[in-house]
Amino acid sequence: MPSPVLKATDLCRTFQRGPQVIQAVKDVNLEIAKGEFAGLVGASGSGKSTLLNLLAGLDSPTSGEIKVNGTSLDSLTRKELSSYRANQIGMIFQTFNLLPHRTALENVEMALYFTGISKAERRKKSISALERLGLEDRLDHLPNSLSGGEQQRVAVARAVVKEPEIIFADEPTGNLDKDNAHQIVELLAELNRNNLTIVLVTHDENLAVKYADNIYRMDFGLLAANGGRIRE
Amino acid sequence: MRYQDVIDISLGNLWRMKLRTLLTLLGVIIAIGAFVSMLSLGAGMQEQVSQQFEKLGLFFTIQVYPERDVDEEVSEDKPKSLLNDSALVRLSQLPGVQLAYPFDEYQTKTTINDTTIDVKAQPLSVSALHTKLFSRIETGRVFDSDSAKEVIVNKEFLDMLDIENADSILGTSIVVSIEVASFDSGLVHVFKSDGKLIWDRFKNIKFDSLANSEYRSRVLTRELGGAAGRFIDGYMNARIPVSDTLVITGVLHNSRGRSRTSSIIVPLATGRKFSAAGFSGDMTSILGGISSGSLFQASSDRITLEYSKVTLNIEPGVVHGPIRDSIKAMGFRSFSYAEEFEEIQTVFTYFNMGLAVMGMIALFVSSLGIVNTMLMSITERRREIGIMKSLGADESEIKVLFLVESGIIGTIGSLLGILLGWTVSRVISMVVQAYMKEQGADPIELFSLPLWLIGASIALGLAVSLIAGYLPAARAAKIDPVQALRYE
Ligand SMILES: Nc1ncnc2c1ncn2[C@@H]1O[C@H](COP(=O)(O)OP(=O)(O)OP(=O)(O)O)[C@@H](O)[C@H]1O
Ligand SMILES: [Mg+2]
Repeated sequence: MPSPVLKATDLCRTFQRGPQVIQAVKDVNLEIAKGEFAGLVGASGSGKSTLLNLLAGLDSPTSGEIKVNGTSLDSLTRKELSSYRANQIGMIFQTFNLLPHRTALENVEMALYFTGISKAERRKKSISALERLGLEDRLDHLPNSLSGGEQQRVAVARAVVKEPEIIFADEPTGNLDKDNAHQIVELLAELNRNNLTIVLVTHDENLAVKYADNIYRMDFGLLAANGGRIRE
Repeated sequence: MRYQDVIDISLGNLWRMKLRTLLTLLGVIIAIGAFVSMLSLGAGMQEQVSQQFEKLGLFFTIQVYPERDVDEEVSEDKPKSLLNDSALVRLSQLPGVQLAYPFDEYQTKTTINDTTIDVKAQPLSVSALHTKLFSRIETGRVFDSDSAKEVIVNKEFLDMLDIENADSILGTSIVVSIEVASFDSGLVHVFKSDGKLIWDRFKNIKFDSLANSEYRSRVLTRELGGAAGRFIDGYMNARIPVSDTLVITGVLHNSRGRSRTSSIIVPLATGRKFSAAGFSGDMTSILGGISSGSLFQASSDRITLEYSKVTLNIEPGVVHGPIRDSIKAMGFRSFSYAEEFEEIQTVFTYFNMGLAVMGMIALFVSSLGIVNTMLMSITERRREIGIMKSLGADESEIKVLFLVESGIIGTIGSLLGILLGWTVSRVISMVVQAYMKEQGADPIELFSLPLWLIGASIALGLAVSLIAGYLPAARAAKIDPVQALRYE
């Protein structure tokens, strides 16, 4: 087995809500290999998003450790952590999270603002990313003039344009109809075939079973034991 | 993040919130406008004063006056210093003094084209005429020499004669006459009025010694005991007219205040004729001469009068303080415009500070507008901030983004504010100048927009907007992306 690109050890994340302590993520240990398509499933409120945000460096654990390619996220400075998000990972959300006042092209370009590449190159890369997703005639559209599927494809373009190592997708199909949902996951699978590591959070077990190399099941913050490799 | 991208994004955000941006901007524009117009009033008035000083060369003059008579006790202990010709020489020899010339004025009767008017005349050397104080020749030229039979008149003189065209008077001859009493005629009257006793008294006087001024003054002091009134009476009644025909070579601008000139200026040597002939018809100068003793203390044949004022021209760059100390040690009072100007400057500094404070209050109010705008836009842009952070924006980048937004408001606001302040000052200036013209006064420019004020306004507007934007920006930077992205 190749060395894991993501490795979580005894990961905990608790939230304090008034007197109540919520353990959203409890002692999670997991390893995701380079080029793996990981499916993260579980009931609503089981801690999937919380775990994903921890892995993406958007949130920090209460205890435990995350290593990316052997480097602990905890050891990174704030700036290095930002750079990790800017360069090594791409994120896709259920609600698309496009900037409403910016065109499809500008939204994609936004991902490159924080990577330090030149304006011309930024534009070139963004256009080609959108073209690959079949959005070449939607470059100047604002998000609200795009369909849900198109919006999510813009979001995928935004995630892949910086050529990251890992893509974190949190319910990317949650707001899409069946056809669009399949199209999006198909896109992720295709990226995965090009050796991109994918972490997909989904309610839809069928989708996970169909595409994921491994399925990790969350249950009340705990990672269930049956997170084994189910496909070769 | 690239510098250019930050500006682009910030401008885009401001542009999107057009109305709000405009209103915030308006607050800054008005505040900076008020600041600029108020301070340019201060700067304008300051400039006006220093220009006047500069124009008249007042920065390089010291006026010397005799000690005031009110200090009776002082004058009893030690004799009062006389501001006479020998003092003039000593004053001119002080280090740093370029030129010393007295102010000596006579009441004359001047005849021009059969019209005779009473005007005051002042003798002045050619070199003094070349100093800035007198250099404002409107038309014509200065004298050829100190003994030329020439005269310079000022505008006041033209006004008295209702002459409007200054050029037309050049080359005209005028007859200047002064009714003086020769000392001897005054002396005769003293004795004559004593009636019968006159021959007895004459016996005691050695006439051939009268030419000796010391003897003459001794006699007079004795004789004058109760006869001062008679002397003056005789003096006044025994006037001998002295006159001279002079050609007008130039017309001088009128100047105001302490630097004003007599109506006509005659060359020094030509004018000496009048004073050498005796005293002018000015009662106060006679009384002054008697009380100070100068009347009788002349060591030369010519009886010297005290001058009421001596002007010293000081080399540029020389500090006035030590010169004034020397003058004081010589027993005279002095007045330095340069030092006076420093005091005026402090007054202006306080005045400007007062104006600046008012401008700052306006600026403070406008800064609240910036704070409000920025806080509102942060609330609205929580999700956007979350997205940017998920895309790898660092806290410092988010902070810079918001600071640049308020900085842009500050900069544009300052620039337009300066324009507004300038416009307002132009309008007020036009109104005031029109009013002054109507009132017959020389219109002066009240406002000035010096470069430092433009720079200061931009710096201030920028500083205020950055300070106002700092708290909201720091708050934006701290937004938790997970929370911001959680809900729709
Ligand atoms: N900031 C927070 N403060 C308090 N509680 C939180 C916070 N974030 C998450 N939680 C709680 O932690 C638990 C896990 O939440 P999480 O969003 O990770 O669930 P999820 O598995 O993604 O659910 P869903 O499938 O509905 O998206 C929930 O009980 C949630 O209420
Ligand atoms: Mg979730």
